[in-house]
Amino acid sequence: MILSQDLYVTYRWRQEPVLKGVSGNFKNKALILGPNGSGKTTFFRAICALTNITSGKILIDERSVEDFYAASGVLSANFQEVYTLLGSNVFDLVNLYTDLSDGDSGLAFEMIKDFGIDLGFLKKRKLSELSSGQTKIVCTALALAMKAKHVLLDEPFEELDPAKKGRMVKHLNQYDGVVLVNTHETWLLKNLQNWEVFFMFEGALYGPLLVEELLKAEISMADEPDALLRLKVSDKMVSLVKGKGKGTLLTSLENLDRIYELAEGK
Amino acid sequence: MTKYLGMNAKSLLTNPYILFWSILFIEFWVLMWAYIFGNYIPEVEEAVRIYTATAYGNLLMLSLSGASVTIASSLLYSSKSIRYVTKYTKLSPLLFLLENLTSSLIALLAISAVMFISVTGVFFARFGLVVMPVDAVGLVFSIFLGTLFIYALALFLNFSVIILRAPKSASFISFLPLILAFTAYASLWIDFGNITYFSPFNCIVSVCYFYFSGHAPPTGNFLIQGEQSLVNVSLAIGSLVAWAVILMVLNVILLRKMRGVGVEEIRTT
Repeated sequence: MILSQDLYVTYRWRQEPVLKGVSGNFKNKALILGPNGSGKTTFFRAICALTNITSGKILIDERSVEDFYAASGVLSANFQEVYTLLGSNVFDLVNLYTDLSDGDSGLAFEMIKDFGIDLGFLKKRKLSELSSGQTKIVCTALALAMKAKHVLLDEPFEELDPAKKGRMVKHLNQYDGVVLVNTHETWLLKNLQNWEVFFMFEGALYGPLLVEELLKAEISMADEPDALLRLKVSDKMVSLVKGKGKGTLLTSLENLDRIYELAEGK
Repeated sequence: MTKYLGMNAKSLLTNPYILFWSILFIEFWVLMWAYIFGNYIPEVEEAVRIYTATAYGNLLMLSLSGASVTIASSLLYSSKSIRYVTKYTKLSPLLFLLENLTSSLIALLAISAVMFISVTGVFFARFGLVVMPVDAVGLVFSIFLGTLFIYALALFLNFSVIILRAPKSASFISFLPLILAFTAYASLWIDFGNITYFSPFNCIVSVCYFYFSGHAPPTGNFLIQGEQSLVNVSLAIGSLVAWAVILMVLNVILLRKMRGVGVEEIRTT
């Protein structure tokens, strides 16, 4: 279980915080939906203890993230920057990280092959020499193959074609553990039944709701009394309401960046 | 031990920047020492031994400092990874330091061996004498101390850049060991006196010189005739050990504190 309590993160002194009092409890599989720049990646970095926490705390299984050292099997993430320990080829890199985490390199290679990437190719390329889509696949495969109890996946669908996105969804559903996925894409909601959904806008976290509740949810640009969830977007109150056939279906938005256009009446 | 040790040693030994700055670039200076600076050296074994000891000590210091530039910069670029693996894999901060130190020492000792063979070979070609160190075990010990200090310094500078969140200074900071090494190189013409004991770079030269030649080295003015004060070698060894230990302790503390700097942050600055 990952617990975030009133978390604030500021990158530079006197700058506006990127995360503003984020609180959430993540016990199973959860999606964090939010537009680009909403603070999702910073939140994941804070959970990994890769960025300074200004105030608040993050607990993993009731232990502060600051206290974890050599805690193999607790947490893994798919950030490219955490897989640059050596400038070796991708094949060796996968073997190194799975060795360090007592993970399963076979699982990683199997998943990578499933996405059509040849292992011989990985022996000739460094991580920085792969395309963005290939990098995302390798880093996500590595995060899952490390067999951690908690997995953080930052935009795992980015730069993937629709067929590969579908395959990625299959791998995420198969994973046995706490999985947090952050994305700005809403199309995948229907494929992730039983997942919880959180929303992140302008550094604030909202939720959770269940995927089933969201599939028919509509966006209303007013403060609705019976709203499933109220979000603050560009200083305006936006409500997610049960479908009444009046508002815009949340799943009809290609991605959540469009919510700003709706808030501005476009 | 994990796979990291072997893979990092291989990565350092095949790193083109290390091969250039620590071996090819220094080879130029080996030739200069043999064929230009060494023109006034009489072809007498003792004179050649002392001259070779001076050359090896100084060139080794420059060579190791050159390698430390690359080690420091590779650590800076992988700082986020270091943070991640020391927290969420079985590589604890201490084990990481141990494996990184061991693999770096393997690479640095290999460079020292290449430099030794090179200096011995080129000086044989120039003077017609094979000059072997008076105390080979002592020389290996002094090389080990030198590499340990250089490694600890490279790591300390790199961690300081990360903790202070000053990636703008990263290039300058990573070249600092090389700059300081060239400053110590000035002892060939300047007498540093007691400052020698505070300068770990001068201590490396002094200790290597001592075990190579069997004589206590001067505190400076290596290439200038006249009266010279001599280095207390025990004190120089003590200083080098103290520097290495203090820096390694600081490194352990800093490693637990640092959160890494993103590659993009380094590139954009």
